[in-house]
Amino acid sequence: MEIDPVTNGNTDAVMTETAATITPSPPVPSSRLSQLTESLKLEHQLLRVPFEHYKKTIRANHRCFEKDVSSVVSGVGDLADNNWSKDVTVSRLTSLVSRLQGLKRKLEEGNNVENLQAQRCRARIDHLDSADVENITEWNNTKLKRILVDYMLRMSYFETASKLSESSNILDLVDIDIFREAKKVIDALKNREAASALAWCADNKTRLKKSKSKFEFQLRLQEFIELVRADTADSYKQAILYARKHLVPWGATHMKELQHVLATLAVKSTTECAKYKVLFELRQWDVLVHQFKYEFCKLYGMTMEPLLNIYLQAGLSALKTPYGFEEGCTKEDPLSQESFRKLAMPLPYSKQHHSKLVCYISKELMDTENPPQVLPNGYVYSTKALKEMAEKNGGKITCPRTGFVCNYADLVKAYIS
Amino acid sequence: MELKSIKDAFDRVANKQKLSYTKTNEIVQMVSQEIDKALSILKDSSSPYPTPLDHRSILAGVKKTFAENSPVNQLEAAEKELNVALTKYPKVLEKQLNTDIAKAYRNNVEFDTHIVNQIIANFFYRQGMFDIGDCFVAETGESECSTRKSFLEMHQILEAMKRRDLAPALNWAISNSEKLKQARSDLEMKLHSLHFLEIAQDQNSQEAIIYARKHFERFLESFPETQKLVCSLLWNRNLEKSPYSEFLSPALWNNAARELTRQYCNLLGESSESPLSITVTAGTQTLPVLLKYMNVMANKKLDWQSMEQLPVAVELSEEFQFHSVFVCPVSKEQSSDENPPMMMSCGHVLCKQTINKMSKNGSKSSFKCPYCPTDVDISRCRQLHF
Repeated sequence: MEIDPVTNGNTDAVMTETAATITPSPPVPSSRLSQLTESLKLEHQLLRVPFEHYKKTIRANHRCFEKDVSSVVSGVGDLADNNWSKDVTVSRLTSLVSRLQGLKRKLEEGNNVENLQAQRCRARIDHLDSADVENITEWNNTKLKRILVDYMLRMSYFETASKLSESSNILDLVDIDIFREAKKVIDALKNREAASALAWCADNKTRLKKSKSKFEFQLRLQEFIELVRADTADSYKQAILYARKHLVPWGATHMKELQHVLATLAVKSTTECAKYKVLFELRQWDVLVHQFKYEFCKLYGMTMEPLLNIYLQAGLSALKTPYGFEEGCTKEDPLSQESFRKLAMPLPYSKQHHSKLVCYISKELMDTENPPQVLPNGYVYSTKALKEMAEKNGGKITCPRTGFVCNYADLVKAYIS
Repeated sequence: MELKSIKDAFDRVANKQKLSYTKTNEIVQMVSQEIDKALSILKDSSSPYPTPLDHRSILAGVKKTFAENSPVNQLEAAEKELNVALTKYPKVLEKQLNTDIAKAYRNNVEFDTHIVNQIIANFFYRQGMFDIGDCFVAETGESECSTRKSFLEMHQILEAMKRRDLAPALNWAISNSEKLKQARSDLEMKLHSLHFLEIAQDQNSQEAIIYARKHFERFLESFPETQKLVCSLLWNRNLEKSPYSEFLSPALWNNAARELTRQYCNLLGESSESPLSITVTAGTQTLPVLLKYMNVMANKKLDWQSMEQLPVAVELSEEFQFHSVFVCPVSKEQSSDENPPMMMSCGHVLCKQTINKMSKNGSKSSFKCPYCPTDVDISRCRQLHF
């Protein structure tokens, strides 16, 4: 038995041939690199959300220290200005001292929390930094998991979200805590309780004011409506007191809405008047949930939609071709699957400026390296695939789609520009 | 994008935070020291004049110190510096990154949650993440995924292969032998080769030869590497120093596992790569192009919500090219059944409508090819099928 010395020991290459056809040879690295840079620019939310959280913690801690220190200082001032006995003075001072001790502890704890949050911000910057052309497949896998966790958190699938993040080791790259905070508010609103949403508004007062949000006003109006709905003699009085306290401050900017809602005092919750009936609908609470999600996402610099939907829309559009909907479409195309077809239905088709030919036999791209060849019957296949076929069959070519047989010599090269 | 400028801006924030913490600590320290001092004087019974007037003067002293040092103002000053850094960082992010990737999003399109959830569950099962898939299905209340059983079998086969147990893989390949042949897959041979090598390593050449006789015959014609496999028996005891050291490479196992996944998925009617991950990766490549387009067209009135085709071409990587697309180089239109691609006698390809135009609807029997000096005879143009 004679063994060809060239292929001798080169079995690996032979055995991996099929694998090589699946993973295409890497194209020009520079285009890959710029593609990578562009894709990293999509990660605003990844960096922004933990930073907003960090900033919020810093601000809240600071407000708290400032308040405590100034109350201790004014406490000393009060003692100095009043004529207390020595014993009272000593006991008051001692209580100030223990208050300061508490403050020191709070400062330490606050600093620890802030450091943890800073670490999380840094971990995300490092994660972006770790992406390069070599590990992009793995990086994209992690990205997909991050996107899935984001989807689950927005849909309140917390259990799977935590499980997936833990098992994939991406806890630092997802925002489970932040969404848990939101969930409390959302659940309360769904139970028709505005208290936790109002507390959230108070927590984020400055930010909401800056963006001219009227979410708090809407919550107040709803609480007012609930008092009117109660429909007892006492509840009307309460409603008026409530309006004086909580609605009047919004009068300067939102007089029209204020009047509209206040007028419900003159009607019953069972009114048929469409203009007021709508205010009593329980659906209004869902509107508040929606409004809260909007304010929440905006505050943290998140997109309103789950990232998954955004990426799916873009990807489906780019992949959507008339061919994907044909019978016998290759299974490799996601649009050959019923579920993906349904999602893609309302989306636009992709646009092509240049011809891209894929060999029917080898599924490889036909380009200048592997140019298309035309059989006498007009069917086109790649040079590589036809050569291989000819070598195996003594120079004969059989068209796999029509059964037409010809010689390799009968083929003509086609020029596609 | 400059990741470095993001890093620098964040370092600034973290530094200022540290400074602010130190400063706050100092201030609290100072306040508590002053009070402690006052207290110890007051408590000191040996003090000669423990009169009311006296303790008031001590307190007045502390008050004066506070008025001079003004700890509250100092705190505010420390916060101010930190605030500058805190305001600046988001601005750097906004400058370096795309702030709103939803700009190219169709708001009027609502995805069916059930479909999306089914796709996600399917993704977990395909990746072999059965725990998470089950947890997801339970939490979402979706109906059980039809593909779970099949993917479970596939992953059991793959797990066994990881333990170098080829029996389940071979069983599957043999029972699907015909279909694999149709798909022109060499999986069966790949698995037999691995098994042969295992036997040769673990047992002896004789066993290996018996195995080869039993299983290799069918492949002798189409797979010349059977020669090398058998020949490698000569170096059985130290294969690593033989011309066949590649047979020890873990790549062989990886390739076989990959081919098995591919064929298994294909027979299931699924793609070999996860369609979810293909679509999301395609989306990652598409979004930057769409966002750039939206920015350029910001002032133009765009009917983004209803257009039938994307207004801009997106060059996806090769692995996302599943179909042949022919775009006529003259008219820039995509070919279709009504307007198929036609090859001229010189080998250049145009679409039918363009050729009709150039020949004035057949009134001219020949015209010049737009790409070369050939005079094209219309009767010799023929339709192509890609």
